[in-house]
Amino acid sequence: MTAPSTAAVDGTNRAAVRPPAPVFRPRRFTLSNIGLYASMCLISLFFLFPIYLIFLIGFTPDQYTLFSGRPPIIPPQLTWSNLQAGLSASNAPFLPSMYLSLEVAFFVGALAILIGIPTAYGLSRLGSKLAYGLTTVLFVVNMLPSITIAIPISVQFIRIGLYGSPISIGLTQELLALPVTVFLLVGAFQGLPRDLENQARVDGAGRFRAIYGNLVPLVAPALAAAFLLAWMLSWDESTFALILYNPATSATLPVNIFLAFTGRGNPVVGVAFSCVATIPVIVLTVFLQKYLKGEDLAAGVRG
Amino acid sequence: MALDHRGAGEPAPVATFFERHQDQLIPFLFVLPALAYVGYFAFLPTYQTIQYSFQTPILSFTYYNYQANVQSGLYSWISNTLWLTAGALALQFGLALGVASILNRGFRGKTIFATIAILPIGIATVVAGFTFNQIFPGTGAGYANSILAYFGIAPVYWLAHPWLALLVVIIADSWKNTSLVIIILVAGYATIPRTLYQAAAIDGAGALRQFVHVTLPGLRGFIVMALLIRGAQEVNIFQLAYIMISSYPQLLTVQIYLLWESSGGYPYIASAVSTVLLGIVTVFIVVVIVVGGRK
Repeated sequence: MTAPSTAAVDGTNRAAVRPPAPVFRPRRFTLSNIGLYASMCLISLFFLFPIYLIFLIGFTPDQYTLFSGRPPIIPPQLTWSNLQAGLSASNAPFLPSMYLSLEVAFFVGALAILIGIPTAYGLSRLGSKLAYGLTTVLFVVNMLPSITIAIPISVQFIRIGLYGSPISIGLTQELLALPVTVFLLVGAFQGLPRDLENQARVDGAGRFRAIYGNLVPLVAPALAAAFLLAWMLSWDESTFALILYNPATSATLPVNIFLAFTGRGNPVVGVAFSCVATIPVIVLTVFLQKYLKGEDLAAGVRG
Repeated sequence: MALDHRGAGEPAPVATFFERHQDQLIPFLFVLPALAYVGYFAFLPTYQTIQYSFQTPILSFTYYNYQANVQSGLYSWISNTLWLTAGALALQFGLALGVASILNRGFRGKTIFATIAILPIGIATVVAGFTFNQIFPGTGAGYANSILAYFGIAPVYWLAHPWLALLVVIIADSWKNTSLVIIILVAGYATIPRTLYQAAAIDGAGALRQFVHVTLPGLRGFIVMALLIRGAQEVNIFQLAYIMISSYPQLLTVQIYLLWESSGGYPYIASAVSTVLLGIVTVFIVVVIVVGGRK
């Protein structure tokens, strides 16, 4: 693992003393900047247009969207009827689906913290060779195909009757959330001075008291970020949730969206669910931006 | 020093395994629950998949699961998946290098641009799949054709040809996943000392030569790692492609899903395709370990 870097996604390095302004840095809106701003606008358009479409399709009468031969990009009129129809459909009830999504997401977030704290603490105290090996194991878990893992687990869960329960879905989604959570927390723990723990131990605290009483409060912001990141991964996850859902009870929002758009449901339900599912994650992404670090996602690459 | 206090002939005190490794053993115990969890929920199912792939429903050994899939077109599913992966990686890295080098410069509006560039991370894959299905449907309708119509271009049937269908999935997948590559490359940029650029500028290097001789070597480790991570995730692309193009052209993951869905709870035939997918991912994993371990 590398030492935690404070480089946020916008490239600013908050901890390091900033070097004098580099010579190539453009300061004003000049002719030479036009290319830069033009490409920036084009790229922004590329990233924003599909998000705009989610809400355009959500709030425009469907004869101008789903069932139009030339769907207009500017809505001719707005309506609530898609949302009303989609959220009150009887074949894919909204409230149970949203409730299941929330249950699973909070379970995944809580479990990520519960296992993440001791794991990250352990990794931050291990010798670099062993820590590297264990980090690689977590990294490999993140690369394994979800669908490959989901099928044998589904076979097991059918056998033991856990099939379709929030816990069974959460336990599999945790495979995606745990590695990222651990990488994020290891960075936070490594950022603390080693003496803090030693001091608490000298003062008579046991190892657990030292960790949970002295260290954990200091990494609270990283913990909150890790919880929210795990929550968001679960909220968006649909492969495990699809293979493990029980058609007789309920499915998470993304699974209902998937079913609605693959010919086994009502597309209007998918449109309405998509709008509802997207709002919280847009807010979360903006909020989590500074915690999404390349070093964590690349599992400690050095340049 | 401790030896000085020993009498002659007294045996040296032998530290137990626990005493010798105490500083490592206790931190290791803290990691154990996570290891047990991933062992049971990730590695055991992986092993079971390989096992199923050589089994019949009455649990005898067989190659039939592979033979049946080869006859249904396994090789074309593999090549479709690999072409999709190659195309998506090329587009994502081109785009991400552009965005990251823009973000590496100081200018007004940079923070907003950085936020916009990572927004797709939060959007659920199925929602992205649906939205791009509305942009590039196979029916000749859709938003891309609405835009083309403004320029007087005839509607395109996006799913009429397998290459075109793969291309629209590549565009959609790049929309969803370029953000991850941007984040990794921005972190890489932060490790390149600014003074290198200043030195290059003093030596008369323009923007392009600075990029080739300073940026690319500085980012090499990050680019390799991001390529491997994204490559492994890319061959696992499933719902985005299934919502957009259904089964034409067929991909490994979609085929696994369809085989499992129609199997009535028997995982054997689907597991053969799963094992092939696992083999491809394993190549990426081995390279990650080799490349990562060299540092």
